[in-house]
Amino acid sequence: MIGNTPRNHKIIALFLFGFALFYFLGSFRLKMGTLKIPGPGLIPVVLGGLLVFCSGFYLYRVAFQNRRESMGKEGSAEGGRNYRAIAGVLACTLIYPFILEPLKFILATFSAGFLMLFLLRPRRPFSSGLLALSLAVGAFLIFSRLFGVAFPSGFLENFIFRIGG
Amino acid sequence: MLEITQGLLGGFATALKPLYLYYAFLGAVLGTITGVLPGLGPLGAMAILLSFTLSMDATGAMILFAGIYYGAMYGGSTTSILLNIPGEAASVVTCIDGYKMAQKGRAGAALTVAAVGSFIAGTISILGLMVVALFLSDIALRFGPAEFFAIGVCGLVLLMRLSGGSLLQSFIMILVGMALGTVGVDFLAGTERFTFGNVELGQGIDFLPVAMGIFGIAEVLTTVAEKESLQTVQKVKMRDLLPTAKEWKRSIPAMFRGSFLGFAIGLVPGPSPVIATFVSYISEKRFSKNPEEFGEGAIEGVAGPEAANNAAVGGAYVPLFALGIPFTPAMAMVLGALMLHGLTPGPNLIKEKSELFWAVMASMYIGNFMLIVLNLPLVNVFVSILRVPKNILMPVIVIICMIGVYSVNSSLLDLLMLALFGFIGYILRAVGFQVAPLILAMVIGPMIETSLRQALNITGGNIGDMIFRPICLTLYILASLTFVVPLIMKAIRKGKG
Repeated sequence: MIGNTPRNHKIIALFLFGFALFYFLGSFRLKMGTLKIPGPGLIPVVLGGLLVFCSGFYLYRVAFQNRRESMGKEGSAEGGRNYRAIAGVLACTLIYPFILEPLKFILATFSAGFLMLFLLRPRRPFSSGLLALSLAVGAFLIFSRLFGVAFPSGFLENFIFRIGG
Repeated sequence: MLEITQGLLGGFATALKPLYLYYAFLGAVLGTITGVLPGLGPLGAMAILLSFTLSMDATGAMILFAGIYYGAMYGGSTTSILLNIPGEAASVVTCIDGYKMAQKGRAGAALTVAAVGSFIAGTISILGLMVVALFLSDIALRFGPAEFFAIGVCGLVLLMRLSGGSLLQSFIMILVGMALGTVGVDFLAGTERFTFGNVELGQGIDFLPVAMGIFGIAEVLTTVAEKESLQTVQKVKMRDLLPTAKEWKRSIPAMFRGSFLGFAIGLVPGPSPVIATFVSYISEKRFSKNPEEFGEGAIEGVAGPEAANNAAVGGAYVPLFALGIPFTPAMAMVLGALMLHGLTPGPNLIKEKSELFWAVMASMYIGNFMLIVLNLPLVNVFVSILRVPKNILMPVIVIICMIGVYSVNSSLLDLLMLALFGFIGYILRAVGFQVAPLILAMVIGPMIETSLRQALNITGGNIGDMIFRPICLTLYILASLTFVVPLIMKAIRKGKG
């Protein structure tokens, strides 16, 4: 897990301030209207303004807090984290939308599942592969046959759908 | 009263249909499993299963969700008592005396008291829910946009005050959530807002990938980051399940106190089940003849909080059914499930879809009964789920989340949103931000905006007319008091010191 350190607070505060500025400036492109007939931009401008003010104050607070205190905390909370697992799971969730249509459902789900299982239990590639395959086929059968969901399908999906009964 | 009796009888007739009984059973089992697993609480389970409800009708979906919520509340107490591991936040208090009881060989009695307490609380809160929701929905039919705006604002203010952590951080989360709620085509003016020309974004950011990402994926990321630890699971024998006469005598009044307290706290926005357990524990200790026993295995310390957290669930349904406003993240999930079926909760829902309302009420009762019948004999089976390695369970949950999100709209953008909000949720939680205000503001935000714009239109832009209405003014005063009272208390303490 990423630690609750002052450095990470600063990064989050900066990101929030950036988002707030982006939203606030973007909201000016919308029609504000009047108080009597409020336009679609009124609430975004108010929200954006408040967001810029609050995130700016938050950024100021975390950026200028006691340096000695932050030096003491820095790094201490980040030891022993399983970064590989986090990165692996995140990568799989990010890659999945891009491989779903080209690889079709079963192969894409198998790949994402296998990658995650392999990263979390690297010493058991065979059982991870078997588990990922059963997960992909099982999920396909349950969702497509039971719930009637239409997934990107190719030869493999059509074949399994037929033998599924 | 006649209306309630008739409605409830009709509800039982619907809920006792085999299919709905199956959904109640499934919800209770799934809820218990997720409650047993540390980390994956009722929210995670609801987020993951939200897409599954598409294949059901709205009544079935509501019954399943009610079962999950109650089941998770009960499942969480099992691991608290047997392993000193709270399955979810509302079970933290149960660890204190429940685990001590287990160490003294009274685990079975603690589990039974927790189950019976949950059943009594569930029953009381369902009765309360029926009466209060009906009463409130009748009043709410007379509300205009100004009142709904005031309720929304007051709800968010109370949520910010009660969700714990920094006020500034919670306020920022509310603003971010409301900002996300503005994305899409503005349906009053037909203008695109923050869509960047993307047709899919025109419909707004879907609630499901955001909720699944923030609660499901973020939870998985938090869990995989921790080192795997093997659980030594204590066996509970059937004959040890029965509490002694003295234990019953001490726990039954605590169950009733916890039930009424929990229901009242459940009506308030915020993490009500968690607050209810703490308040119940403190009040039990304060009114006990033997306060020194608390922390050493006092049975009231299990009975009261366990009843309180279940009763709070019933209380949390009131604002959703009566006003159409979810005050807790779990209720936002329920709202999401209703909206997936084209239903908008609110005062009209109880009148127009009374069959659904009463079926859900009846099924809650059935679900509670199922929990007591199933969970006590099967306690060892549920606890053994903890033996499934996390490194297998977590990838399976991620795959279910991804397939679940895709199955709703067949949208690749939704999958990207899932990944994005999973990462954002993980980072925010890691640095101590509360994510519940974000998700609730995202759901309530559009309602607040619409109400405000309609109210301004009606009053001709006169803000005074919006504020100085009896209900609105009362709500604004109430919201202000949540800030003023702590300041006064602080000043008094300072003066004394």
